[in-house]
Amino acid sequence: MLLVASYGFYSALKAPYLLAVLLLVTCLSYMFGLRIAAHQDEVARKRWLLGGSFACIAVLVLLKYLPVLGPDTFSIFGLNRTPSQTIISIGASYYTFQAISYLVDIYLEIEEPEKHFGRYALYLAFFPKLLQGPIERAGDLLSQLKQPYQFDHDKMRSGMILFSWGLFKKVVIADRLSLMVNAVYNDVHSFTGISLILATYLYAMQIYFDFSGYTDMALGTARMFNITLTQNFNSPYAATSIAEFWRRWHITFSRWILDYIFKPLQMRWREWKTWGTASALVVTFLVSGLWHGASWGFIAWGLLHGVYLAVSVFYKPLQKKIHKNLRLEKTKYLKIWQTAVTFNLVCFAWIFFRANSFSDALYVVSHLGFGLDNQVMPVLLTSGKISLSILIMSLLMLSLVSIAIKLTNIKETFYAKPLWFRWGAYYGLVVLSLVCNIGVDSLFVYFKF
Amino acid sequence: MTTIETLNQVFCLVFDDDTLKIHPDMTANDVDGWDSLSHVNLITTIEAKFDIRFTQKELLKQRKVRDLISDIDRKMVP
Repeated sequence: MLLVASYGFYSALKAPYLLAVLLLVTCLSYMFGLRIAAHQDEVARKRWLLGGSFACIAVLVLLKYLPVLGPDTFSIFGLNRTPSQTIISIGASYYTFQAISYLVDIYLEIEEPEKHFGRYALYLAFFPKLLQGPIERAGDLLSQLKQPYQFDHDKMRSGMILFSWGLFKKVVIADRLSLMVNAVYNDVHSFTGISLILATYLYAMQIYFDFSGYTDMALGTARMFNITLTQNFNSPYAATSIAEFWRRWHITFSRWILDYIFKPLQMRWREWKTWGTASALVVTFLVSGLWHGASWGFIAWGLLHGVYLAVSVFYKPLQKKIHKNLRLEKTKYLKIWQTAVTFNLVCFAWIFFRANSFSDALYVVSHLGFGLDNQVMPVLLTSGKISLSILIMSLLMLSLVSIAIKLTNIKETFYAKPLWFRWGAYYGLVVLSLVCNIGVDSLFVYFKF
Repeated sequence: MTTIETLNQVFCLVFDDDTLKIHPDMTANDVDGWDSLSHVNLITTIEAKFDIRFTQKELLKQRKVRDLISDIDRKMVP
């Protein structure tokens, strides 16, 4: 039943070819999975693995890059108009990667292939995670899908509030921030210096709230069905290094590229020692950039992160010596410094991610240090004073709640309160989200991938 | 010397810690400084010491020290 609902959900996007793509990837990976397991011979198994992975990637590449090659290709599929760039491949990058991880896990004998086609199809198509992930491993999700469903009051409840929380983050905070960011990034040449810096920092906030808001909605919805999906975020901007950032941002994606691209490459190039590791990092993050899209901006973004990590690999021994000599090891000051540096490195890379074109990105980068342009207040007031106050209050509320959850047992206290109190809170959150909805024709940022 | 004793020597060398005592259930989480970079050093040192070469598949499957030991032993059988 969930399978039907999931396909129904995907079809609501009114792009029938997407359903075909999902079905195609499902059938291919299901079949190849069985074929890998059916053979004992190492060579044969590897061949089936490579075949299956190649087939899935080919489907994804065709889907993502065919429209780039020519809008006429769509008339072949009976479509009269070219769907928007965003709709074109929604979800495909995610479940394709998930399918490949399934095949590799079978090849490595970590998992057994799933014989039940319906269950396997649901593993890929499960609607809470269909559009933007998380990318689930077979070991995590398939085993849960095997359990029969039992109504769990607590899970239903906490799932709903998690969903509402994510909705709030997205609709009230992220969308509001996007207006300010768009004011600058859609017209970069009218700005210089501090407003560019401000807009970049705001974008860092926007993309975090957007994507983690979505993740909360996905995890919350899944929880209502007693399914626990993998958490994708863990206070990413608190990271003290780029490596740590990637352990906290889009966790399922970075684990995927770590396990299936970086580790194999690093091992293959182990004779080159540190150079091997550094090269593997650069290649891995280049692939990451390409996964996000076929634009120079994404490639530059991926490459930047790859270079950051490669440099840190060489720098690490020296860094340790410096910290030891300055007696800074494990001090609070060092942590603050490292967090600030990491955040700024990440924001610098976001410039390339967000800018509408590579030349826009270069403009921003070259004008960051060019002083004040009196545009800071206008940018912040893009959608008016009330909107700005709502934003600030929401951020405050969010921070307070997050701190409270970490430091106290406010969660238990909340759930112990009478029904009317709790439902008041749920409704309050949803109503707030609806009322404070900025009315932007917004799509989740990570939908595009 | 047994495999685990020789392996222990390698660990001490790679992690620069003579007090290190490995056991079969040990993973990367149990050793300070055992990250992806030092892991590569560990692997290349093991391969040099035992005069063996791990396959990609073995390397990707290794999770605990016992996996290393069993892979080494399997390769050492004449």
